[in-house]
Amino acid sequence: MKLTIERAALLKALGHVQSVVERRNTIPILSNVLISAGPRGLALSATDLDMEIVDETEAEVEAPGQITAPAHTLYEIVRKLPEGAEVSLSYTGDDPRLQVRAGRYKVNLPVLPAGDFPAMPKDGLSQAVEVETEALIRLIDRTRFAISTEETRYYLTGIYLHPLVEEGREILRAVATDGHRLALADMPAPAGAVGAPGVIIPRKTVQEARRLMEDAGETVSVQVSPQKVRFDFGRASLTSKVIDGAFPDYKRVIPQGNGRVLTADNALFAAAVDRVATISSEKSRSVKLAVEPGRVVLTVRNMETGQAQEELEADYDGAPFEIGFNARYLLDVSAQIGAEMIELRFADRAGGAAMLDPVLVLDPKDAASQFVLMPLRA
Amino acid sequence: MPIRRLPPDLINRIAAGEVVERPASVVKELVENALDAGAGRIEVQTEGGGLARILVADDGGGMGPAELPVAVERHATSKLNPDADGGYDLLRIATLGFRGEALPSIGSVARLTLTSRARGATDAFGLTVDAGRLEGPFPSAFPGPHGARVEVRDLFYATPARLKFMKSARAEDMAIAETLRRQALASEGVAFSLDLDGRKALRLPAERVGPEGRRARIAALLGGDFADNAFGLDQTREGLSLTGYAALPTYNRGSAQHQYLFVNGRPVRDRLLGGALRAAYADVLARDRHPLAVLYLDLDPALVDVNVHPTKAEVRFRDPGLVRGLIIGALRHGLAAAGHRASSSVAGQALGRFRPGFEPGAHAAGASAWREGGWSPRAAAPVSPSLPGLSGVSARAEPWIGPPDAGVPDPQDPSVPPTQAGAEHPLGAARAQLHETYILAQTRDGLVIVDQHAAHERLVYETMKAQMAAGGVARQALLLPEVVELDPADAERVSGRAEELAALGLVLEAFGPGAVLVRETPALLGETDIAGLVRDIADDLTENDAPLALGERLAEVCSTMACHGSVRAGRRLQASEMDALLRTMEATPLSGQCNHGRPTYVELKLADIERLFGRR
Ligand SMILES: Nc1ncnc2c1ncn2[C@@H]1O[C@H](COP(=O)(O)OP(=O)(O)O)[C@@H](O)[C@H]1O
Ligand SMILES: [Mg+2]
Repeated sequence: MKLTIERAALLKALGHVQSVVERRNTIPILSNVLISAGPRGLALSATDLDMEIVDETEAEVEAPGQITAPAHTLYEIVRKLPEGAEVSLSYTGDDPRLQVRAGRYKVNLPVLPAGDFPAMPKDGLSQAVEVETEALIRLIDRTRFAISTEETRYYLTGIYLHPLVEEGREILRAVATDGHRLALADMPAPAGAVGAPGVIIPRKTVQEARRLMEDAGETVSVQVSPQKVRFDFGRASLTSKVIDGAFPDYKRVIPQGNGRVLTADNALFAAAVDRVATISSEKSRSVKLAVEPGRVVLTVRNMETGQAQEELEADYDGAPFEIGFNARYLLDVSAQIGAEMIELRFADRAGGAAMLDPVLVLDPKDAASQFVLMPLRA
Repeated sequence: MPIRRLPPDLINRIAAGEVVERPASVVKELVENALDAGAGRIEVQTEGGGLARILVADDGGGMGPAELPVAVERHATSKLNPDADGGYDLLRIATLGFRGEALPSIGSVARLTLTSRARGATDAFGLTVDAGRLEGPFPSAFPGPHGARVEVRDLFYATPARLKFMKSARAEDMAIAETLRRQALASEGVAFSLDLDGRKALRLPAERVGPEGRRARIAALLGGDFADNAFGLDQTREGLSLTGYAALPTYNRGSAQHQYLFVNGRPVRDRLLGGALRAAYADVLARDRHPLAVLYLDLDPALVDVNVHPTKAEVRFRDPGLVRGLIIGALRHGLAAAGHRASSSVAGQALGRFRPGFEPGAHAAGASAWREGGWSPRAAAPVSPSLPGLSGVSARAEPWIGPPDAGVPDPQDPSVPPTQAGAEHPLGAARAQLHETYILAQTRDGLVIVDQHAAHERLVYETMKAQMAAGGVARQALLLPEVVELDPADAERVSGRAEELAALGLVLEAFGPGAVLVRETPALLGETDIAGLVRDIADDLTENDAPLALGERLAEVCSTMACHGSVRAGRRLQASEMDALLRTMEATPLSGQCNHGRPTYVELKLADIERLFGRR
């Protein structure tokens, strides 16, 4: 195998795949990237057995062939090469190592046979569905913050992507929840999506896919099976196992009739939450919202540093009530609101009982996303 | 008014009132029968708290077709044998049963089915007794070479009044499990299994008969922790032999529920045991704490009368003083030896006196002095509004604890005369910090060494509890309430402590038998492994009678929080900080033991030190 490629192109290709490779691996070949030179140029593959990324790029191939070499080392080397350098990769039977040359620099890297590289089977995947990249990015960005990090509830540690028909409309929906809050984002279902199985896409896959979408074209083609999901971004593609579990019936927890509506300036609201929460060092900084007609008063009390309070104008004309939240959850959800205003819908139940009912947070300009927040009791 | 002879089935029903009080008593009687029949394994299954169905199957000697109908007859037993003159001796009972009452009583108030294959027989037979009506014996199928299966359905259906007094099925399940545990503690050579509504509640393999097997059985039932924190007993006096295990003083509980006494293999409840334990532990344990103990008393059956109570749960000793003396003596001896075991240096004799300063009661002399001074750690000492041991370790903590004039001594400053702090404070005045880990304090009549980290951890936990009780801890409501499956006894225990747990930020409720539903979690823990947390708590409740796991996790989170400079081992402390820590410990109940049951400080009396140097 022998090929030549411009340094920037190789760096980009390696950048696409290398983050899949875990730093510490017990199986040596998983530390390696599979380098394939063929008539279509250079293909790089990396895998952690749960996910595989392949990147294809143009290169001048002198002799086709395949070999694997340490991914992180190769990436670091290429990164440090001078800009504009021509890099040649060659592996001949004579030297059992990969030769990397650029100008007067050269290095030999240990290799492992390409035949040992675990390929991810792509059987059983559905027909490819073309999804607008922008729309897919929105689904991910609106929901990923709510993905659970608690491994014991593994079925919550991803985004549940599924098509559905609701009130006659065909929708592709992303939902994520950590059991404390839930985020949901919809887009019109692309052609061919309805009927495909829903999948729970693991956090790491979401993260890698989102990263690769930055370099994707207008659309991403998506294929699913009950076990797998595959994204084709153009030059790069990602195939991943999905979480083998049932996503809970999330519709049940989305409050339907929350009739006490509070609207406030989103930026001012977030800033106020942030300011009052500063005095608390706990992870779960508890903010109390005292809602009354025309305003909301935010209070954080800390045993040691005292109490911080801020009053905010708000559009509300119901009976006054108080409710607590984790400040971070409020900030997370506020960050999802693109509109000028944030809308919080509270349960109608009077008094303390409502303090435990889920709260719906909406973007007045975006009917296609919904957020649910569970209150905090102090 | 005519005086009537009552018909036999009514007699049986009356007897049943005494013998079978609740499903657990049925299990007890049937298991006793199985043991008396020489069973090597006993399987118990119940449904609906034992009211719907109880099955006890054994692989003992079994009964033949001739014996079966007699077994269910009133006052019929194979366990009392007449001597040559036809006399019976009720004072030499070596079996668990002897009254011949259990089977007829049960048969009079339920639907009883007996199937059995006698040892050596090819055919098996069965019979039924339905509310006193006997049918059979008839040939029947029986799994296994020999043994008996006794099935009791619809218990108390014939006595609806009794049925009304039954507690919840889960309460009955717990009682059944406890009954079986008790008996299993005494019969380590027999394998036991218990299934409650089809769920495995107990699996105990047969152990080798003897001390080793007994230890394994105890560990399986009371937790390996107990085995690790107990000392063995083995004393014989005047034909009485006492063996078993008793807990080190630091391993104790708030109730005396876990003190077991077995007399010739029979679990008995006897007030003598509680009294003897209290006497033996008097100077190492506070009055309201109870050591765990599993004691086996074996003696000539003639020296004990088991025919005192219909359920045979009480016994009468011919010479109670001798028994009491034996128990106390053996325990005291064991305690002393355990003390030496802890410190095996040259000066072991004296160092054995280094006692884990578990509670005020742990100090023979100190305790009374403290109480006389009106100081009691359980008295409602004002609780610091902040976390002691964290921010509480500051001058701020002092005004509400010690006398305001208890100046803070500077150990480095020789011009400061030793304060009288030692006289006023049970934990004395801090004199030095050793290895940046231990605080050395001088008391009026000795010295105290405090493990600062352990003490701190405890204080965090206790304060958090107090704070939470005052409604200070935020709880995160769950979008998806989580169902956590537990064994019924655990679920009952956990949901029984719901209020206490809610104060710690964990809101849960019973969810059918064998599960709890968690609705809110302590916000402090963030996203957490809820099922794991609840299971740990269930274990704690079983083993320590306190939900330590929750407090521990909270304490962990707290102490890693940046704002609270936590007093870890290895941190240099100012004299004032050390004193404040000591004062806070005095004001905090249970501060003598860290969350893991290790002592947070040890005390050495002057007298002990003198002994150490041979001055006494
Ligand atoms: N599981 C069993 N295996 C063999 N024999 C049994 C079993 N259960 C009961 N029996 C026989 O039935 C008799 C009556 O039992 P019970 O009514 O419990 O009275 P007791 O146990 O006091 O003798 C016993 O003495 C015994 O001979
Ligand atoms: Mg009996």
